[in-house]
Amino acid sequence: MAELSANIAAAARPRAGKGAQLWKDPRLLGLLSVIIGLGLWELAADSFSALILPPPSAVLARFFDPAFLPRLLGALGYSLGALVVGFGLALGLALPLGVVLGRSPTLHRMFDPLINAIYAIPPVAFVPFLIIWFGLFFEGRVALVFMMCFFDILVVVIAGSRDVRRSLVDVGRSFGASRGQCLRLVVFPALTPFLFAALRVGSARAINGMITAELFFAAANLGQIMKRSTQAFDTASALAVVVTICLLGLAAQTAIQLLERRLLSWHLRG
Amino acid sequence: MTQVKNILFPCVGIAIFLVVWEIAGQYMGETLLAPPSAVAVDYIGLIRDGQMLSELVVSLRQMMIGFLLACVIGMPMGIIMGRSRIADAMLRPWVSMFVVTSTAALVPVLILLLGTGLALRTTVVFLAAVWYIVLTTYNGAKGISPQQIAVGRSFSAGRFQIFWKIILPSLYPYLVTGARIGLVHAIRAMVMAEMFVIIGYGGLIHQTGLMVETGALLGLLLTLMIVSLLANWLLGVAGRKLAPWYEQQRSIA
Repeated sequence: MAELSANIAAAARPRAGKGAQLWKDPRLLGLLSVIIGLGLWELAADSFSALILPPPSAVLARFFDPAFLPRLLGALGYSLGALVVGFGLALGLALPLGVVLGRSPTLHRMFDPLINAIYAIPPVAFVPFLIIWFGLFFEGRVALVFMMCFFDILVVVIAGSRDVRRSLVDVGRSFGASRGQCLRLVVFPALTPFLFAALRVGSARAINGMITAELFFAAANLGQIMKRSTQAFDTASALAVVVTICLLGLAAQTAIQLLERRLLSWHLRG
Repeated sequence: MTQVKNILFPCVGIAIFLVVWEIAGQYMGETLLAPPSAVAVDYIGLIRDGQMLSELVVSLRQMMIGFLLACVIGMPMGIIMGRSRIADAMLRPWVSMFVVTSTAALVPVLILLLGTGLALRTTVVFLAAVWYIVLTTYNGAKGISPQQIAVGRSFSAGRFQIFWKIILPSLYPYLVTGARIGLVHAIRAMVMAEMFVIIGYGGLIHQTGLMVETGALLGLLLTLMIVSLLANWLLGVAGRKLAPWYEQQRSIA
């Protein structure tokens, strides 16, 4: 049905010339915009000292610097360690808890305001607390990654579990499905779109937590490169770390999107 | 009956939480986790002392500059992106790049560029909030039904009339939701930036942490929580006043 209407819409659209279509390709325009932006930055950097605002070419050159690149990649590897552990723990706890709280009206009424209240506290504010509890090193960083993404995931999963349509569950019941079967065959599949939403939000927050921890606790990995290079007024290196984090975030979002498209082809995103 | 449940059940939930926390606090001691009874005593001290509230007022005032800037720039940007395909294609890569880049990673570079004063904090708050405001507004502007605009056209409304009478009113819920999400990120960024350069309310949290006073520390977090909930609630009320149809479309958030 949706396919049909899309076909009709495509047929109804006036046909533009080939040249005009090329111009309107959003990917081409996007690329153009990025190139223009980098060009303007390059020009603007001329009137600043390279210590304050290095041109994009200098930042790019950092990635080809044989002394810098291995350091960057090594630090990235260690950073990912804390990220994966913290994010994994948050997912492992928030998913079951979210389903339980979302599927039980009583528990939801009891704990929803409490969760919203804790969620309202900026996670960074827990840093001194986490230092007291977990120290300045790996455990502390894992704890901050966990704090950063746990509640974001939990809130999405609760919303998703509550959103499962009653009629779907009722159909399962009337076909004699047990509670467990209903959960496994109806609720979980209906939940998967929200699961991907939780993954998207959670991964972005987890990366944020990773770099925040590396800057706020004992400087380590990517955060350490960043701190050292800003102390040495090597802004190009610091920006190279920022670019790395940006690329990491984009890669995570793209990977989750691809996975979602592959696994959830049945789910029409409206 | 449901109303009684709606009030009673959350109270039971909070009571359970407080009891568990009290027991854990008593067991672990005040250096690790101050129990609620100790936090309550410390909290009265914090309010009497006055430093907490005065730092809070200063910090919030500075945060508002960044947040309002983010609204003033982010909302029109979102509308333009939602209504123009070319603007969408040109701006989208920048928005998706900035929204995944954590503001914390930008702070060390921004300190070199802007120093540690008001400009830094305003910029950090702005950068943390603006992209969420843009994206929410964008989704709203993109979702306006073409039929509504066609109706406006057939009643011979001009471009401006269509904008003021059709596009903007149907965007109100999204603008309010965008402001709410933006504000959450603005408060987070404010605390983050202040803890980084050890100034204002965030600086106070940092220093209290160094003294290992978990009672006062939790008191500071409690105030932050109240401020955040209050601001969110106020924006919700403003949304309902501005656009009574706000509630129906809340699910968009």
